Amino acid sequence: MKRRLTRRDLIKYGALGLGTLTLGSRGLYSLMSQGVRNARADDSSNITRPSTTPFLQELPIAPIATAVAPFATQADPGNCVNVDGTRAFHVHGPRSVPANTTEFYLIHERAAAHNFHPQLPLNSIWGYEGMTPGPTFLARSGTPFLVRFVNDLPENDPVGIGEPITAIHRHGGFQFPEDDGYPLDTFCGPSPATGNQPQSRDYFYPNEADDLDPQNEHSTLWYHDHAIDITGQNVYRGLAGFFLNFDAVDSFAGEEDLNPGALRLPGRMTTLNGRPFREFDVPMVFQDKLFDANGFLVYDTFDHNGFLGDKFLVNGVIQPFFRVARRKYRFRCLNGSNARVYQFFLSNGQSFVAIGTDSHLLEHPVTVNNFRIAPAERVEVVIDFTNTSIGQEIFLVNRLQQTDGRKPDGLVSPGTQILKFIVDRDAADPSQVPADLRLVTVGPQQLTVNAQRTFEFNRSDGAWQINSEFFDENRINAKPTRGTAEIWTLKSGGGWVHPVHIHLTEFFVLSRDDGTPPPLEQGRKDTILIGSNVGDVRILLPFPSEFHTVPRPVSGRYVFHCHNIEHEDMRMMGQFDVQVT
Amino acid sequence: MSAYHRPRIVTSAALALSLALLMVLIAGRSTERVAGEKTPAPGPLVMPAATVPAPPNRVAVIRERHLENVELLTQEGRSVRFYDDLVKGRVVAINFMFTTCPIACPITTRHLVEVQRALGARAGRDVTFISISLDPERDTPEVLRAYAQAHGVGPGWYFLTGKRDDIERLRRKLGAYDLDPVIDADRKQHTGLVILGNEPVGRWKAIAALSKPVRIRQAIERTILPPSQWPTGDAVVKEGPYEERETAEPANLSNLPARN
Repeated sequence: MKRRLTRRDLIKYGALGLGTLTLGSRGLYSLMSQGVRNARADDSSNITRPSTTPFLQELPIAPIATAVAPFATQADPGNCVNVDGTRAFHVHGPRSVPANTTEFYLIHERAAAHNFHPQLPLNSIWGYEGMTPGPTFLARSGTPFLVRFVNDLPENDPVGIGEPITAIHRHGGFQFPEDDGYPLDTFCGPSPATGNQPQSRDYFYPNEADDLDPQNEHSTLWYHDHAIDITGQNVYRGLAGFFLNFDAVDSFAGEEDLNPGALRLPGRMTTLNGRPFREFDVPMVFQDKLFDANGFLVYDTFDHNGFLGDKFLVNGVIQPFFRVARRKYRFRCLNGSNARVYQFFLSNGQSFVAIGTDSHLLEHPVTVNNFRIAPAERVEVVIDFTNTSIGQEIFLVNRLQQTDGRKPDGLVSPGTQILKFIVDRDAADPSQVPADLRLVTVGPQQLTVNAQRTFEFNRSDGAWQINSEFFDENRINAKPTRGTAEIWTLKSGGGWVHPVHIHLTEFFVLSRDDGTPPPLEQGRKDTILIGSNVGDVRILLPFPSEFHTVPRPVSGRYVFHCHNIEHEDMRMMGQFDVQVT
Repeated sequence: MSAYHRPRIVTSAALALSLALLMVLIAGRSTERVAGEKTPAPGPLVMPAATVPAPPNRVAVIRERHLENVELLTQEGRSVRFYDDLVKGRVVAINFMFTTCPIACPITTRHLVEVQRALGARAGRDVTFISISLDPERDTPEVLRAYAQAHGVGPGWYFLTGKRDDIERLRRKLGAYDLDPVIDADRKQHTGLVILGNEPVGRWKAIAALSKPVRIRQAIERTILPPSQWPTGDAVVKEGPYEERETAEPANLSNLPARN
């Protein structure tokens, strides 16, 4: 007989461990609290957690990645241990990259002390260059990047969140299969097995629009870990950062661009403390994390539903504030959480002007009172503070409650204040939000559809499947032909949601539950929420034909998966193999 | 200024102390990464004299939160403690089953038997198989012994029964539960996970029992070995047979939307 665990039971179970406990009293309380959570992952209301006063610290802005002197490209590491002759699945030897245009970057994955909040102790995180989020890449279309990621993560890590074996996926990027962070193309940190040397892997990012079509120019991408089975832990520990792309229209000069074709969206380059800095154009990654009673980061590798935290972070710190001028700002919002879905409102009732979803700008700006954002999705919004008053405080509020890793509960009021804007000055505002942003010329009406498929995302036997199968490393779920388009139906029958992410291309949403998709799903997407209360979708995927920066047909294996990362790690993943002919 | 670069070098005394503690923990824990030999359980976590809290010790935390030391009976009728006698110092592959389970359990057991054979001498030495009955009243040691024999189970594999409440707690704490109480009441739903743990280093994960035996074996190898020695890439992908699920149908274009 199944029996609901009562509070008394839980206290009893907690007490069972007393005899072997060697921790202090605070530690004991922490462990008992944790037992409650593990016994019933949906009942966290009575758990004591460290209290953190909101809005004590300023919103950090990750530094811009800086290019280094060109270096010779290297062969991909065959494996974490090369001696047995085995190789990464996708391999590339030393490669030819365009000598005159390529910029080179060197990024180390490192453990570092991080201050999540002044009232918590310093925590050990893993980050690109030892920071979370990692450095922000600013790319200009037509200038390819060669990025060497070096794995300096410690093998004997005392925290126990993450494994020091990584693959880097540039999410939303158009890149070769060997540069896509395929989950088996991993490389390791220093250990006796590697001669105590860190392994590294070179990733080539062409920074070109798919098939050089201007409608396919990218905007807000991000990069994060994608290693098989352990992505959830590695991303949660801090391995994520922004990768922003600019082109002639959505330009690097931004609001200061004198070219009549430029959009002049908010944002410009300046310097801060002697370093390049992008002003009025702010990447913001939203994450939730859990801390024990002593303020140390907690993760649960036994939770396969989707890990939830109860502290809300923006750019790596808990509930920061951000000083703004009375003018327009562009915010590139990324949900970098493992499983939490947010729905954001402004406390003064003001609207957002949405200008982009996932990797692309919208065709036209859309004014919305609020927006929902699922794991890995991006929503770019302009907030206009022009009509606010100096000294005014405005809160970004999440009103979507979620206590179950598998799906949100629903909207609540008043919700949780995530970020405080403090209006503190005036500033010139040459920016604009034009009525036409990135027009689509080859869309659902023009594309020739080659085939259609259905993928059902379901739960079985305590883990997660696509079309009733767990991910197998050598199974191909689809063989689309390059240069053609397909319609995929993404379904989920259970009482949960899945943010489905498809690599390589960005799709059009044809319908949601046979109806017109909501306004923020009428642009290009690479991640889409399906399931309970949101419904199924039909999407149209154009598979690109050619890489041009380094000429090569599009072909090979790419994955698609649920971006609730615990689901992904529990094998809710498939792969497609793009065919040349 | 409206924004700032986060200081990367933090010089507070608190950081120095925290890092010193981290180093102590690293030094204290860097003894054994290779399974196969039973390593002693980690010593008690040392609380600092100062008020600065120490980061948690992952091994101790997992032991306290997830590894109940309940009393169980093996298929030989021997009384054992789950943590002290079966898990402590070992690499384990744990699943829940019951002998009358119609479909999923026999497949799971068959998969694990295949894995056990493929591991050869390493099974039992480098990894201990643990199968725990969700029907403990019916699955007596005798019944479990007969079940193990009928499935050709090799040595180094424990089939366990015990008190129902104890087993329910074990199951939940090891992650073999469903948040939906209706599904959770169906014990067949809890037989699909193989929970993998390297107890001395605190590394735990799970894999679906209905995955191919080769994938379960690879996951066990990734549990035994430190990450730098994990087989990855081509060797992993192609060790399993190539499969295709080409499901494409001709496109139904009748309901493409009109664009404005």
